[in-house]
Amino acid sequence: MNLVRDVLDRKLVDREDCDMGRVDGIVMQLGEHSQPRITHIMIGGTTPWMRLHPGLAKLAEKLARAWGPRRAEPVRIPWSRVVTTGKDIRLDVKARETGAIDWEIWIARHIIERIPGGGQEEAE
Amino acid sequence: MKKILEITLGIVTSVGGFLEIGSVLTAAQGGAAFGYQLLWAILIGTVCLAFLVEMSGRLSAVSRHTIVDAMRERFGFPFFFIVLVGMVLIAFLVLVAELGGIGLSLQILTGIGFPWWAIPVSFLVWLLMWKGTFGLIEKGASLLGLVTISFVVAAIKLHPDWSGVGGGLLPTMPGHDKARYGFIAVSILGASISPYLMYFYSSGVIEDKWDESYIGVNRFIAGLGMGFGGFLSMAVLIAAALALQPKGIRVDKFEQAALPMMSALPGWGLLLFAASMLVACFGAAVEISLAIAYFFAQGFGWNWSEDLEPSRDSRFTLVYTVIILLAAVPLLFGVDPVKITMMSMALTAATLPVAIVPFLLLLNDPIYMGKHRNGWVSNFVVAIVILISFVLSVISIPLEITGG
Amino acid sequence: MEINVELLLGTKVRDVDGIDVGRIEELRVERVDKTCLVEAYLIGASALIERLSAWTLVRPIRHFLNSRNLYSVYRVPWQDMDLSDPKHPRLRIAQRDLRHAK
Repeated sequence: MNLVRDVLDRKLVDREDCDMGRVDGIVMQLGEHSQPRITHIMIGGTTPWMRLHPGLAKLAEKLARAWGPRRAEPVRIPWSRVVTTGKDIRLDVKARETGAIDWEIWIARHIIERIPGGGQEEAE
Repeated sequence: MKKILEITLGIVTSVGGFLEIGSVLTAAQGGAAFGYQLLWAILIGTVCLAFLVEMSGRLSAVSRHTIVDAMRERFGFPFFFIVLVGMVLIAFLVLVAELGGIGLSLQILTGIGFPWWAIPVSFLVWLLMWKGTFGLIEKGASLLGLVTISFVVAAIKLHPDWSGVGGGLLPTMPGHDKARYGFIAVSILGASISPYLMYFYSSGVIEDKWDESYIGVNRFIAGLGMGFGGFLSMAVLIAAALALQPKGIRVDKFEQAALPMMSALPGWGLLLFAASMLVACFGAAVEISLAIAYFFAQGFGWNWSEDLEPSRDSRFTLVYTVIILLAAVPLLFGVDPVKITMMSMALTAATLPVAIVPFLLLLNDPIYMGKHRNGWVSNFVVAIVILISFVLSVISIPLEITGG
Repeated sequence: MEINVELLLGTKVRDVDGIDVGRIEELRVERVDKTCLVEAYLIGASALIERLSAWTLVRPIRHFLNSRNLYSVYRVPWQDMDLSDPKHPRLRIAQRDLRHAK
């Protein structure tokens, strides 16, 4: 498997078919003399912005801490949770429990649901 | 049969995307200034767009991914982000122009100035997306869009010289005002080949749950849908050539574009023009707002669908809400929608290569396309479109300055 | 030590003699049960060409460039890559000992 072509930037889907975002980053563990291992998938936070410019990442971090769920750290999903790769990457997790859709939930509850006709974000 | 009825996706893309304030004004300007001579630009734009839209649909039907999904996955976040910024900036300008077009149409009908309509119009566009489903938007815009056939009726009633029309389908150089000719040709192509149309159509294929079995129908629908839009644009140009060119009237104002229909259909002409523009610009405004929201949501991997309740795809919903609110602001201050239209057409033309070049690669990628990769004909057409887009990108801004 | 793979992409690689070899374009990995092990790094002149992978169009172009020594992609086994300084990756071997990727 090619890590960059087949994993990086792919869409992530949880065990209930909910969209969880995209693979913004991948963490590799280097040992002294052991074969490097892929340990985590990273979602959101400053991860995608670091790929553009560290300055943008700092700005994104400031904005993320100022409002919303006030979370700037990326979500880290252990590689062991990857079920299948392909066009999308299926994970053996529940999106809601990982923090990957915290922004989605926050915007739904604090903005969208307050407008008539916005509906109800699923209760936990 | 049911699949053929899905023509509504083709028509709504066409009416909302092809026939809108930009294509009407540029076609009217072209006809008023140069008679039938610029019909070839509409023809080329239509053919190019039909191929590009067919490819967008095919990619999505086969891979079950949209163009934006594929762009992010194949080219990475940095490239996606650059395209996002460019696309959003230009699409935003076009959105302002379309909302302005609705306002100007209402100004014709009511006498109330278009800035007063900025907020009500933006609210209505937003409300349709907030409450409506993709199916409702599709079918509603398609049905209402049929009023634009009045442009064809007007052109026929003015008794065109059909051999002259045929001659206009071949490129010729004008005897006068070459810079302006070039500028209008570039603007017509920029108005025709709008990238947001492809993103909208590709997303629409996923919303409508098409799969590989729709490939043949997709070809038919893309061709017929875009052909319909191109046909309407040509009618606008022909009517302007007959009604305005002999009198030496330039189309610098929105109301002047109504004169051909008023000549052809006295009594009804103005009403039909305003109603057609209202529907076309409304469809375009919805389409562009959705295209921008789709771009964000698909690129970042958020939930998205017009069929979901707003709170179920809150980030997608927030994007189109904010975009429409912001687009109303310039109109509130009386910024001229016609000027914004011409500027946005030239900018679209200037940035086409960035949107089109990924196409060539994605439509040949076996991972996405399987056995439905581009054949040599489609590749040849895309290569020609890329060539045209590079030429446009180099000449459009200088022409805007000299000929605009 | 943890490394962000997405930030490794495009970084210049030098060989053991300090000669520029190319840029990290891709990582070949193998999935074994719930683990994923890095087998090799692909080093080439352009990260974009490798990433695009549109074989019907790009592969012939790459073959053309490769055969004229204008563009090469090397396959570096994990043991031959030193990532102790991720911003300046170095090979543990010389360029002449590198193998071309298939």
